[in-house]
Amino acid sequence: MEAVSIEKAPSRIGENPEQRVLRALAESFPKTVSDGARLRPGLVRAKVDRSDIFRVCRVLKDNLGFEHLTMISAVEYDDRFEIVYHIASYQSKLLLELISTTPKDDPTVDSISSIWGGANWQERESYDLMGIVFRSHPKLERILLPKDVLYHPLRKDFKG
Amino acid sequence: MAEMWINMGPQHPMTHGLWNLRVKVDGETIVDAEPEVGYLHRGIEKICEGLTYPQIIPITDRLCYGSSLTWSHLYCQSVEDLMGVEVPERAEYIRVMAIEMQRIASHLMWLAAYAGDLGMSVGFTYTMRDREVFVDLLQALTGSRLTYNYPRIGGVAHDLPPNFDRDSIRAVDYMEGRLKEYEDLFEGSKIFMMRNVGIGLLRKEDALNLGVTGPSLRASGVSYDLRKDMPYSVYPEMDFEVATLDDGDCYARYRVRMDEMWESCKIVRQALQKMPKGRWRMVSPRNAPAGTGLGRVEDPRGEAVMYVVGDGSDKPYRLKIRSPIFVTVSAAPKILVGYKLADVVAIMGGLDMCIGENDR
Amino acid sequence: MSDRADPSLGQAIMFRSKDFLKWSDEAMEYLLRRSPVGAGIDLITKDFFNWATRNSLYFLHFGIMCCALEMAVASAPRFDQQRFGIIPRSSPRQCDILLVNGPVTKKLKPALRRLYDQMPEPKWVVAMGECAISGGPFYNSYSMVQGVDRFIPVDVYIPGCPARPEALIDGFLKLQKMIKENKKGLLTGR
Repeated sequence: MEAVSIEKAPSRIGENPEQRVLRALAESFPKTVSDGARLRPGLVRAKVDRSDIFRVCRVLKDNLGFEHLTMISAVEYDDRFEIVYHIASYQSKLLLELISTTPKDDPTVDSISSIWGGANWQERESYDLMGIVFRSHPKLERILLPKDVLYHPLRKDFKG
Repeated sequence: MAEMWINMGPQHPMTHGLWNLRVKVDGETIVDAEPEVGYLHRGIEKICEGLTYPQIIPITDRLCYGSSLTWSHLYCQSVEDLMGVEVPERAEYIRVMAIEMQRIASHLMWLAAYAGDLGMSVGFTYTMRDREVFVDLLQALTGSRLTYNYPRIGGVAHDLPPNFDRDSIRAVDYMEGRLKEYEDLFEGSKIFMMRNVGIGLLRKEDALNLGVTGPSLRASGVSYDLRKDMPYSVYPEMDFEVATLDDGDCYARYRVRMDEMWESCKIVRQALQKMPKGRWRMVSPRNAPAGTGLGRVEDPRGEAVMYVVGDGSDKPYRLKIRSPIFVTVSAAPKILVGYKLADVVAIMGGLDMCIGENDR
Repeated sequence: MSDRADPSLGQAIMFRSKDFLKWSDEAMEYLLRRSPVGAGIDLITKDFFNWATRNSLYFLHFGIMCCALEMAVASAPRFDQQRFGIIPRSSPRQCDILLVNGPVTKKLKPALRRLYDQMPEPKWVVAMGECAISGGPFYNSYSMVQGVDRFIPVDVYIPGCPARPEALIDGFLKLQKMIKENKKGLLTGR
């Protein structure tokens, strides 16, 4: 699947960087990226299917100029886990909020620490506190709690 | 030569804060490093799920105690984004002025610890004495020396005390004179320069890939400052420059922070001049709507982000905190490899670590 | 050789070396600690040693959280605790005081206990700040120990969040008064 890079796309006069990024994402991954929206100047949000997160991030870093992974958060709802990636682009001065959902009984997702090295410790922290397992992470161990602790404290069913 | 792991353990004069650095040395040269954090993990994110929105403000102060105003301001900014509360303009100017004073005090604290570690005790005494000037100003403004509990959701807690602008201008003038003296003091010291120049190189691509932000990123050649590039609050009205250097070594990080102190003095003056009269606080609603709020500020140590998820009640559903030092410390193995054991102090001190925000 | 057969020749007592050491230990212990000689030496030197101890309290350079900044500021020119003889030292074997200035988490508990055990007698523990006294603002967290006196005996509590540098110096002065009142001789322990 070829990703359309910004330089080769037909130019839309008067289109701001947020719309450009959303359009590029929607055209490259029509099935897995959905719900693109511009929340306020400089912040865009999109939902992505969890099976495709690695390729989407690879396209974001290589072609669309998103150099900096800012934050990886994990939120637990009643019926799902949501893993929220905040990725920043310094060139176009944007912040992209990518949301991927996993079912409650299978909280696994691919690790993106080979794309951005800054994701390494953030994924370990999500594993430690919320129990999200990141596949093919180089060293998925507990980082903040002692190593022999058995629970994941930020889950809603943990009353510490 | 035999390789061995050395524990620069939780109690070590070098570690400002409570973390463990395990370095693998081959003779005197460092081959690998592995930081161990988590000795100060207080479970703040879980505690915040059981407190109402205004009750969390003192807790966010204790996230990073070196610069606690930026963290409570960040929290108020994200909750205001979630609730849709407009902050009056006078409150924004007061916030910006207090944050820049806090930035000067935080950098002075860093400089005191850094100079003390590298053996210059005279740097410790001078910078601590000048830090007291700003801590006194902030005490007159907020009532406390270290953890201020001053911003509120919808503004600030109370107005400026009388004669505050006259005292601040005097303090800023005094500080600019002292900054000139510090540059002569530190850069005239041969040992300080020898321990800093060329040590701890962090290349631009590594800094971007590993997620390093703040003065360490600007010292590696990337000119990105949230106050200028994605401004918040009343920073678009302020006229200042972003300090950037290309070398990427410890001296560049020191130089970037000194320049930031100059710029902060300028911003404090401008904020005092431009401050309008009016209200300093808006009433905020008790319950937050269901949704998410995001706040980003430029902390003295990097880029701090807070992500709040509300669910319609008066307590947050989830509060996620991104601390700049958490990501910068994970870049430590990259920077340390190849240098001698005695350089660890200069390199890790130059990253300005405050473990409170690391471990949350 | 021992000559027990003929007591009129006198008895030469022969010791093996470890018996000799044991005997000399017991003799010195009796002389210094239990006999009036030891008590007499104590009476003369007790005040002097006590004055020296309480005016040169060295605490361990161990900063945990916010109160550690106030501890550092107390060494700064404005509050200056060095005029009372209070200086931070880096190694636990050289200190008199363990100053606990922050919350103690479950991960830190074994390390802190080990630091306390490494300190030589006489030693005192000062709990500075609310987090060390009872857990502070984080008392109901899953990873906190509610107060450092759950596993280490504490002598002085300094309240405050964060405790001001003046409060820290006041706490040290109270500790000095406490040492003065509980004067003990070094030899006899009374």
